[in-house]
Amino acid sequence: MSTLLPETISDALGIGGVTGTFLGGVIGAALVGSFILVNTAVAGPWLKRKIMASFWEKIGPNHIGPFGSLIMVADAVRLISKELVVPEGVDRPAWDLAPMVLASSALLGFAVIPMGSILGINVQLADPEVGLAFVFAVASIASVGLVMAGYASNNKFSFLGGLRAVAQNLAYEIPLILTGISVVIFAGSLQMSEIVAAQSQTLLSVGPVDVPAWFGILNPFALALFLVANLAEVGRNPFDIPEAPTEIVAGYQTEYSSVYFVLLYLGEFIHIFLGGAIVATVFLGGPAGPVLPGIVWFLVKIWAVFLFTQWCRSSLPRIRVDQLIGIGWKGLLLASFANLIVTAAIVGVLAV
Amino acid sequence: MSDWIAIGALALVAILIPVSMMVVSWLLRPSVPEQGKRATYESGEVPVGSSRAIKFNIQYYLVALLFVVFDVETVFIIPWTVVYEDAVTEIGLGEALLPMALFLGVLLLGLGWAWRNGAVKWVRSAQVDSQRVSES
Repeated sequence: MSTLLPETISDALGIGGVTGTFLGGVIGAALVGSFILVNTAVAGPWLKRKIMASFWEKIGPNHIGPFGSLIMVADAVRLISKELVVPEGVDRPAWDLAPMVLASSALLGFAVIPMGSILGINVQLADPEVGLAFVFAVASIASVGLVMAGYASNNKFSFLGGLRAVAQNLAYEIPLILTGISVVIFAGSLQMSEIVAAQSQTLLSVGPVDVPAWFGILNPFALALFLVANLAEVGRNPFDIPEAPTEIVAGYQTEYSSVYFVLLYLGEFIHIFLGGAIVATVFLGGPAGPVLPGIVWFLVKIWAVFLFTQWCRSSLPRIRVDQLIGIGWKGLLLASFANLIVTAAIVGVLAV
Repeated sequence: MSDWIAIGALALVAILIPVSMMVVSWLLRPSVPEQGKRATYESGEVPVGSSRAIKFNIQYYLVALLFVVFDVETVFIIPWTVVYEDAVTEIGLGEALLPMALFLGVLLLGLGWAWRNGAVKWVRSAQVDSQRVSES
C-alpha cells in the first residue's frame, strides 16, 4: 500500500509523532479542500453556464476574461459583498448553521477518496477500513442541513422545499447504498484503496487493448442505477423537485442571500463532485487510466459525471413529487434489490 | 489512527472554509435596514400566519418511517457483502446466500404490504380531488 498524503507531507517536513501526523493532516486537508474548491469555482459560476448555453443555443458569459472565465472572480466578489437580509422570524442558530452543514459535510466526504497520484505523491487523505460506509454516511448529513434550512427560514415555500428534499433523499438513499455496496461483493472490502485495487486486473484483452475489470464494465446495470440514484441525491433534473423554481420559488434556498446563498450553492456543487468521485472510485476504477497521471484521470471521470448531470439538467423535464415517490420506492428500490441478489448469486456460483 | 486524525483535520478545514467566507463577507457587505425588507417572500403579498403551522401531506411521515426500516437493513447487508465471497468458499453457496435471501425476502414482503396499503402511493387529500378538473 502506498503512502497517504498526510504521511508524505510530515515526512517531507521532517516532523514525526502525533504533531507530525496532525500537521501533515491539516496541510493535506487544506490542499485537498482547495483542490475541490477550485473545481467547484470553475464549475459553478462559469462552466455550468457555458455548458447550459451550448445545450440551449445561447452564448453564455463572454464579457470578462477569455471565454468569460473571469466571471468566476466577478461573481465570487459580487455575491460575497451582497447585503445579508435576515428575514423576520427565522430560527436563528439553525438558519445560520444550515449552509455550513451542507458545505462542510460534502467536503468531508473527500477525506477517503483516492484521487490518484501526481509526481509520485499519492493524493488520498485517509484510507480507513470503513471507507465506503464513511462516504455514504457523511454524504447523507446533507439531509439534516436541508431540513434545518427549510424549517428555520419561516417561509412556506422553504418549508415545502425542505420536506420535499428530505422525502427525495430518503427515497433514493437506499437504492444508492444498495447499489454501491453491490460492488463490495466483488471487492470483498469497504476500504477505498482495496476497491480500486480490485478493479485494476484485466478483464479481457481485445487485440492490443486490455479492458480493465472496472465494476462499471462488469456490471453496467449497477452503474446506471447508481447514476440515476445519484442524480436524485444531488437534486438535479429530472429530480430537482426540492427547488422546483416553477412550483415553490427556490425551495429551501428562498430566504438565503449573500454569503449564505454562496455556501448553499457551493454545497450543492461539492455534492455533485462527491457523487462523481464515488462513481469514479466504485465503478470506474478510481484514478486508473493509461499514460496520464492518476489525478488527471480522476479529474476526467468526475467531470464526466458532472457533465452528465448538466446534460440531464438541460434536457430532461422535471417529474412530479408523486412520481418521485413511486419511482424511488417501487422502481429503483426493487431494481437495486434485484441487482444485489443477482450479483451475489453470480459471484457465489463463480466462487464455488 | 492516523487515518482518523487526517479525517478530523479535513473536518476542521471543512468548517474553517465556510467560516472564513462568512467573515470576509461580514467585512465587505453593506447593511441598509429598510422597512419591509425583512418580510419573508410570499409571492409579493404580506405573509399570512406562521410557516411552521402549515398542514402538509401525511406522505412525508410514511416514507420517513419506511426509510428507517430499510436503512437499518442496509446496516445488516453491508457486513454480509464484505465477507460474502470468502464465506462462499468456506461454507458453501447455499449457507452464504440463502439466509440473506430469506432476510431480504421478508423485507420485500413488508414493502409489498406497504405498497398494497398505499404507503408508497402519494396521498391526495379530498380537497385536492374535489378541485381536480380531469383525471389523467
